[in-house]
Amino acid sequence: MAELSRQRRFVTPGPGETVEQLAARAMPDQPLESAVDRIKSWNLHVFAMRRPPGLMLGSDVIFVEPPVTHA
Amino acid sequence: MFDVIVRGGTVVDGSGAPGFQGDVAVKDGKIAAVGQVSGEARQVIDASGRVVAPGFIDPHTHFDVQLLWDGAAKPALEHGVTCVVPGNCSLSLAPLKAADRRAVVGMFQQIEEMPPEAFTTAFEWTWEDFAGYRAAIEKGLSINVAPLVGHSVIRLWVMGPAAQERAATPGEIAAMQDLLRECLDAGAVGLSTSFVDLDEHGRPVPSRYAQAEELDALAAVLGEYGRMLQVVPEFYATDITIARIDQLADLSIRHNIPTTFSPLFDTLAVPDNAERAIARVEEQFARGARVWPQMQTRPIDISFSLLRPSLFFARLPRWVRILRQPLDQRLAALRDPETREKMLADLGPDGGEAMFGRLIARGGDACPRALVGKTLSQIAKDRGQPAGLALIELSLENGLDVAFLSAGQGHQVTDRIGPMLAHPLVHIGASDGGAHLASFSTYGDTGYLFSEFVRKAGAMSLEKAVAKITSETADIWGLKDRGRLQPGLAADIVVFDAATIDREDELPVFDMPGDGMRYTRAARGVDTVLVNGAVAYSGGAYTDAKSGVVCV
Repeated sequence: MAELSRQRRFVTPGPGETVEQLAARAMPDQPLESAVDRIKSWNLHVFAMRRPPGLMLGSDVIFVEPPVTHA
Repeated sequence: MFDVIVRGGTVVDGSGAPGFQGDVAVKDGKIAAVGQVSGEARQVIDASGRVVAPGFIDPHTHFDVQLLWDGAAKPALEHGVTCVVPGNCSLSLAPLKAADRRAVVGMFQQIEEMPPEAFTTAFEWTWEDFAGYRAAIEKGLSINVAPLVGHSVIRLWVMGPAAQERAATPGEIAAMQDLLRECLDAGAVGLSTSFVDLDEHGRPVPSRYAQAEELDALAAVLGEYGRMLQVVPEFYATDITIARIDQLADLSIRHNIPTTFSPLFDTLAVPDNAERAIARVEEQFARGARVWPQMQTRPIDISFSLLRPSLFFARLPRWVRILRQPLDQRLAALRDPETREKMLADLGPDGGEAMFGRLIARGGDACPRALVGKTLSQIAKDRGQPAGLALIELSLENGLDVAFLSAGQGHQVTDRIGPMLAHPLVHIGASDGGAHLASFSTYGDTGYLFSEFVRKAGAMSLEKAVAKITSETADIWGLKDRGRLQPGLAADIVVFDAATIDREDELPVFDMPGDGMRYTRAARGVDTVLVNGAVAYSGGAYTDAKSGVVCV
């Protein structure tokens, strides 16, 4: 099977999951507050552009790292 | 004795092979012979000097409602389109309980910019299930239809209002699977879903509340039938689009299904957007997935007036709310100083110059002629007003019937688009036929493919262009007896002039129910269109033929 190039890692929210719970799940080695802040900053499509801001849906893509630099 | 012989044309059979001089014979709705055909026919069509090709297939439309009063999906058929795929973007008109009709009409109104009168005045809404919808459209089809069923309506059927509130339970997911099977058995070509759309109240559509497990379960049902999953992703953000490609690829491999996402736009604002997405598609195909990006041929030009809500104001929710009000309330709001002040504040400190300045006054019955062709920036300067205020006041002075054009919103550089359209993994589609009625014409993309990308740019051969919109589309969607001029297959045939085929200028027409307006484009260079062996369009006129079928 062909190799896939590295792309930005993401998760999808679980049922009723809060951003704090998602951050704890996706970034367990990070202090929670910092992890939440980072996730919010990497996912403006959910946490800034959406009305109401931060409404997470089961189908959402939530990035758990910053954009990957492409050559 | 054949029913029809199309004689003496250049046969471009849809396979991509070079065209050749020959004839195409038709018997009992099927292609009976291709080549030098001897024998007689009840009807002979002289195709000398013309191309004879399989009918074109449009894989992304919203003709769901129009098909109920217009079985030709006009003007799609006159452009040579003989098969349309409605039901995209999670929305279809079945399965749908009577109590939920208003909600889904609101979604069509919001997302696809279709007037509510189109759903309430032109037909009797008698069905709830998919088989009932199929029966309703089959009464008068001149064009073939391969309908998708929408994930949002499936969810709404099973969950009711909770479809827009929460994740589904295992029991609800199982019920959705059963309902999807019922729809596929009744002729659905696949399932559509949406990751981006909002309803008329600004709430995410039901499909967006689905967990990955729900979509996986529905994809498993598609796998039982080998049917398509269509998705509208967050096309404005490359990283998210790539994440969606990866999700679709996993579903495609796990359940052995074809998947497609639409649209994929090229935009100079994010110049590597389409390029990166296509590169990821290449990687996923190499892995064994089938994820077909749909790319439209036409540039994105949006027209609007303040007479109707418009996609143009999508980023201005206050403007959308005001423009959706009944006319008297809308006029009152636009005249109200306090409301107007808030609307102008939404445009930022430049008074709307950046957002509106490049708009061009394009007409409208009441538009002063001297203004037609001028930019709103020029008009505002002449009036001594900021652009946003000039837009509102000029519209009010003329009964709101002043149309503006926002040209070149993206996807407009032929030298960039051509190679992408020619890419073997790019699926030409995403026309949105039958939607966005007062924003732009969604008809004639096939004519534009030939005029702009074959004749003008030379991005692909005539034969390749025909193959892209016939056999390749049929293969992607599993339409086994369409897309090629080959004995035994359905006789969907278009006869056109390769030197002139094109789309005409975009014009407003008032042919929607309730005298509703839409922008359309007539066809140029298309002589004759046969659907299942019957002439449905010839010499610039539609015939009475009702030979279209649900062709899944």
